[in-house]
Amino acid sequence: MKYSLLIALLLVGSLCSMATERTVLVGPKTIGRGWQDNIVLETRHFAAAKAGDVLTVYVDRVRPSAQMAMQRPSTWSGITAAYSAMPVTNPMRMTITDEMLPVLREEGLRLGGHDYRICSVSLTDAEDYRETIVWKGPSVTMADNWSVSAELMGSCFRDLQEGDGIVLHVSHVRDGAKAKLSDITWNPICRAADGMDVAGEGVTLYLTDIEPLIHIGLGGTGTNTALRIGGTGYRLNKVGIVRCTAEPDMDLSTAQRAPKEYRLRPGELYRGEKTFASDWSDNLRITAQHLQDMTINDVIIFRYDLVPEAPKNEISIRRTETWGDIGAGSEPQFLPLDGTDYVMTMDSVTLDHIKTRGFIVTAAGITLRRILLVSTSSN
Amino acid sequence: MKMNLLSVMLVAMLAVGCSPEQPTEPVNPPTEDTTKVEYALVNPNATAETRRVFSILVDNYGRKTLSGTMARVDWNTDEAEYVYRWTGQYPALNCFDFINIAASRDVNPNGWLDYSDISPVENWWKAGGLVSCMWHWQVRANNGTNLTCTPGTEPTETSFNADCLDDTQSADYKQLVKDIDQVAGYLKQLQQAGIPVIWRPLHEGAGNSTQYQGGGAWFWWGAKGSLAYVRLWRFMYDRLVKHHGLNNLIWVWNSQLGDEAWYPGDDVVDIVGRDNYYALSYPLAKEYKQLAASWPNKIITLAECGNGDEVEMSPYTKIWQQGSRWSWFMPWYDHSYQKGSDDHMYAGKQWWLDAQQSGVVLFREDLPSANR
Repeated sequence: MKYSLLIALLLVGSLCSMATERTVLVGPKTIGRGWQDNIVLETRHFAAAKAGDVLTVYVDRVRPSAQMAMQRPSTWSGITAAYSAMPVTNPMRMTITDEMLPVLREEGLRLGGHDYRICSVSLTDAEDYRETIVWKGPSVTMADNWSVSAELMGSCFRDLQEGDGIVLHVSHVRDGAKAKLSDITWNPICRAADGMDVAGEGVTLYLTDIEPLIHIGLGGTGTNTALRIGGTGYRLNKVGIVRCTAEPDMDLSTAQRAPKEYRLRPGELYRGEKTFASDWSDNLRITAQHLQDMTINDVIIFRYDLVPEAPKNEISIRRTETWGDIGAGSEPQFLPLDGTDYVMTMDSVTLDHIKTRGFIVTAAGITLRRILLVSTSSN
Repeated sequence: MKMNLLSVMLVAMLAVGCSPEQPTEPVNPPTEDTTKVEYALVNPNATAETRRVFSILVDNYGRKTLSGTMARVDWNTDEAEYVYRWTGQYPALNCFDFINIAASRDVNPNGWLDYSDISPVENWWKAGGLVSCMWHWQVRANNGTNLTCTPGTEPTETSFNADCLDDTQSADYKQLVKDIDQVAGYLKQLQQAGIPVIWRPLHEGAGNSTQYQGGGAWFWWGAKGSLAYVRLWRFMYDRLVKHHGLNNLIWVWNSQLGDEAWYPGDDVVDIVGRDNYYALSYPLAKEYKQLAASWPNKIITLAECGNGDEVEMSPYTKIWQQGSRWSWFMPWYDHSYQKGSDDHMYAGKQWWLDAQQSGVVLFREDLPSANR
């Protein structure tokens, strides 16, 4: 009995100490065309984060030209230069740095880009990523003309596995620094390795499929060159291989949920739940795609809920390029809303603009539910 | 009461309409009749094959649209093959790009392609396709290593001076002539093979300088403004036509809208083109009509098209219905296209099937034999 209790305690203890990958967002969240969609990871997820922790974004439905951005929510710029626009592989990872922590804790992280879907996002402790340094220099300074590279032998990558990351430890990084990881025949080991942005103290390339392993494997596992690390605007000091040992945590009780996704029905230009803050910081872009057959007799109807206790409830429809008012006047119109549908009628100037370039919805103190294109001529 | 009033109005309208004193007007105004305009090549010495190709464009202008594809980057017909796989037909036209002449093996032993091997073009022509060529004219970047078209002062941009024609001793002038002469060599090979070229150099010269406050040229050949651009165009025309005796070129100039000051002149332009990457039916129709009004004696074409990030290109059926009458269309290539896929960044299988079924789009086999 005593032994059983001891074993049980040991088992519980070992389970408690088991490294886990904590899910912070449950999708799906579609990041569609044109940099229009995004989702902000809440600050609470990063309250206990520390430098070295790894954020992992699992994705699917990736189109060939898809890009992901990991942005500072207030400025919409990459949280560091390296994360402003990246080709999308599954999964995408970001190693949190000291530079990022204040932003993550105060603002969270905006995930955007185009042409992919987020399935989930997780955080893993730094301790669960074990790095082995496989190359210690001497340091190589990358020339402006991309003519310099460090050559790493195949023996460095003997234990390399799919899912591992190749970590470039760098210094003397200049604006516009890029890294290129090529195989023995000078071909990039994967698309993401062909001009990676380099910033801060390092950059990690995760090997998310077999392709880069095959390229590196061309050099064998001996003393032949297997990987050439080149680029421009930085100094390469060390190279490591990092591997995650954490298991997924199945408890989703604290995870953030992506908003429900809706499929547009005929006549709908928008369907969902978009809340516009009172400071006019939110907007929604409607392209001209579904407005091509519109006539001057048609109307666009905005259906919404008022945000309780919002200081004002207003809407303003703008031009896409200049952000001027959608009508003929140059000054933006701020139209008060009372909870009933807002019906936008057409004049020739408005119609021409929205059929040519679409329009932008800005608003304050409402949650937009639907935008409908109603053709009066067909009634 | 409403009915009574309506009846009275109807009778009154009919009475007015039937009055013999009223001038008679056609019920429908005549549609644009492009056959009334006499389109002519600017080069009086154009080869017979070139005149035949031009006549194909003229004969179909306003009635049908020729389909086109862009080479995947430079010197191939890869995109035309995708269209064939999707539709069972090849597009009528394929465009090649002299973007990588610095890497052509006839001038660079380490090069990865060979423009002096004209077989990709010749095979296409012999199979009945029309040939177009353009030139993303790359020059040395400020860092002395890269090649680029992008003007600017950054290391990877270029300060190459498009306004160097008066300084014949300058390095830029010498490079400019050297590059034109290199391309002339390839075009001459095509001429010797009897292949006319729908030639679209110095494209998008004005960039967006005429569209937005603070806009500018995005290629070095437009960076010095309209005057320098027009001079450069005319210099190239003289160099290719008069100096090199190239009579197989049909000259296409790209308009960026509102850029009449950038037009090189009626005597050196055969066709006016437009590149549009927000290719929806309504804006395209607007642009077509604007260009046709500005250059009524020139054929108007959709030299490049596609969708930006935000929208999908309209089906060609819609584009035609909305009133566009482009001479040809040419979706841009998809660099990240995955072999065997029906999906394409700009114009995938569904788009091409719609074009094929529209009844107004011509494919290679629909063309009269221009090359035989």
